[in-house]
Amino acid sequence: MNDMRTMERIVSTEGNKITARNVQVYYGTSHAIKDVDVDILDKTVTAFIGPSGCGKSTFLRCLNRMNDTISVCKVTGNILLEGENIYDSRVDPVQLRAKVGMVFQKPNPFPKSIYENVAYGPRIHGLTRNKAELDAVVESSLKKAALWKEVKDRLAAPGTGLSGGQQQRLCIARAIATAPEVLLMDEPCSALDPIATAQVEELIDDLRSQFAVVIVTHSMQQAARVSQRTAFFHLGNLVEYGETGQIFTNPKDPRTESYISGRIG
Amino acid sequence: MTDMSAGSAAIPRAKKNSILVASDNMRRRNAAEARFKIYGLAAIAVSMVTLAFMLVTILNDGLSSFKQARYSFPVSLTAAVLDPSGDRNRDEMAKVTTVGYAKVLIAAFKAEIEARGISTEGLSDKDVSDMVSKDAPGELRATVLANPALVGTSIDGSILAIGRVDGFIKGRVTMETAVRDGNVSPEQLQLAERLIEAGILTSPFNWDFITNSDASDQRPEAAGLGVALIGSAYMMLIVLITCVPVGVAASIYLEEFAPKNRWTDLIEVNISNLAAVPSIVFGILGLAVFINFMGLPQSSSLVGALVISLMTLPTIIIATRSAIRAVPPSIRDAALGVGASKMQMVFHHVLPLAMPGILTGTILGLATALGETAPLLLIGMVAFVDEYPSASLGGILDPATALPVQVYGWAQRADPAFIERSNGAIIILLIFLVIMNVAAILLRRRFERRW
Repeated sequence: MNDMRTMERIVSTEGNKITARNVQVYYGTSHAIKDVDVDILDKTVTAFIGPSGCGKSTFLRCLNRMNDTISVCKVTGNILLEGENIYDSRVDPVQLRAKVGMVFQKPNPFPKSIYENVAYGPRIHGLTRNKAELDAVVESSLKKAALWKEVKDRLAAPGTGLSGGQQQRLCIARAIATAPEVLLMDEPCSALDPIATAQVEELIDDLRSQFAVVIVTHSMQQAARVSQRTAFFHLGNLVEYGETGQIFTNPKDPRTESYISGRIG
Repeated sequence: MTDMSAGSAAIPRAKKNSILVASDNMRRRNAAEARFKIYGLAAIAVSMVTLAFMLVTILNDGLSSFKQARYSFPVSLTAAVLDPSGDRNRDEMAKVTTVGYAKVLIAAFKAEIEARGISTEGLSDKDVSDMVSKDAPGELRATVLANPALVGTSIDGSILAIGRVDGFIKGRVTMETAVRDGNVSPEQLQLAERLIEAGILTSPFNWDFITNSDASDQRPEAAGLGVALIGSAYMMLIVLITCVPVGVAASIYLEEFAPKNRWTDLIEVNISNLAAVPSIVFGILGLAVFINFMGLPQSSSLVGALVISLMTLPTIIIATRSAIRAVPPSIRDAALGVGASKMQMVFHHVLPLAMPGILTGTILGLATALGETAPLLLIGMVAFVDEYPSASLGGILDPATALPVQVYGWAQRADPAFIERSNGAIIILLIFLVIMNVAAILLRRRFERRW
């Protein structure tokens, strides 16, 4: 993989979308995330890398409060979405999750039709007024997810009948149908073959033009390919955070260097 | 090296550690496996034989209850006896008791025997009339009162024979037993044989067994399951209405919403324990709470259903909870991830996926409830109930009985004819249980979604 080309990539920074300060996460007594400060930029792909169990997924799930579903999990610190603290007591996590969409590691379409999978989000949030609008949202979401051509003739077919890569793109279509501002992806390609992975990566790059994308990945090549900024987590600490080219070519921290050169992790 | 192999390869000899020869260890392991298979087969064979034996016994003893000996002869409904006032007024006619109808019936029976030239030697008039069931006049009276226009005409009567004659046809009563039997004499049985030859005495299908209410000890031939069937149906309906919403709601709350703390642990342990409490204990509870404290009428299907609901609820809760737990967490994540509220997640995604499990659990719970006897004995549903419960809503407060209780009740009676009916009732009960289990399987197949 030619990691060097990331150096030449133009990074547009349009200000912070998410600002995390002093975030701590505890699972019961264990301290899973320690003092993490991160700025997620709008219209940028941010990759979280690090060895297994380093807390990158946990931190990702803090960003749309999916950790609320785990009763022993406790989050402190500030995570601001456009200046508003998402852990404020006035925030309803359900409303937050419409703005901060999520794609999971394993493709998990609902056991319903392809159309219903995509239409579900807009429907429960009342984003469309009639069937024609809903149809339009479904179509545009599937187009954005690069799935429209493959499924436009069988929207009534079950979403679970698609191939793994198609299912994952369906899940991405489902997530972007609610018009989120941030899209969180938790190892979206770990269950996919290289061809499907390439398709999803291409898609991620397209999606960057519309919103901030945060992706957790085990593959450093993938991080190098798709992201503009990279954060390296190790043992619950954010070790280094910067532009992807700099992280991969000129890491400041020795632990980052060890990890990307394969000595730890 | 290669040269050497040419000579020795001609005679393939087992070398040490050859995979061509089973090692001692391997032989022992294979023997153990073979033994285990034999144990398993034996266990299955024993249970199959037991089941087959039970089914054969029940069918053998019970199938005959679906046939019933009846005399068919014309009955002329004499107006002078059945409608003394002569105006076919139903209320006036109702004043004529079964005694009047018995007279008409017996006269017609004797007339038929005489007309066909069948000998009645050695039999008094009473002996002949005793061969007609004590229930027959009542049946005839009901027919006439339902249609007063029949009076004065002659109808084709299908008249119940006494239980001993019925037993004679089915082989339960023989000439030898009749000698020692006070209820029937060999001469009467000989007459019955002649009536069979003449085509007067036949054994048609016994619809009365399914529709009639219970009958007294002297007339097993008239006893039927009607009240028990209605009672069981009412009870299942009430159990369904009370148990399913409460059980499913409780399970959803406990699985999806309840905080995991000491209280929910306590509730969980108690639910599991309730499922294991002997059913008779629930009967005592029902007696104390529903009848003595709340003052609901005893023997009613409402009280029976409430008691059985208490028993079925834990079963349904346990089945529903495991069905909900079996829904993959990824679906919950997916729903929450697109911003569904917890309730939307449960009702749009989790519940539809758990439905086959919930339905199966519920139907199997109901099947257990249908066969439940002990608690019903305690709340008085074992009583002799002659009147059908009303078909209106109030019918759930009328005295009723239930299928398994009817089985128990008949099995206690002295007359062997009741034992036959008891087995017949078991057959009906088993048919219902099989139908419910098949429904559970079909529903499961129908609602199961592929992943």
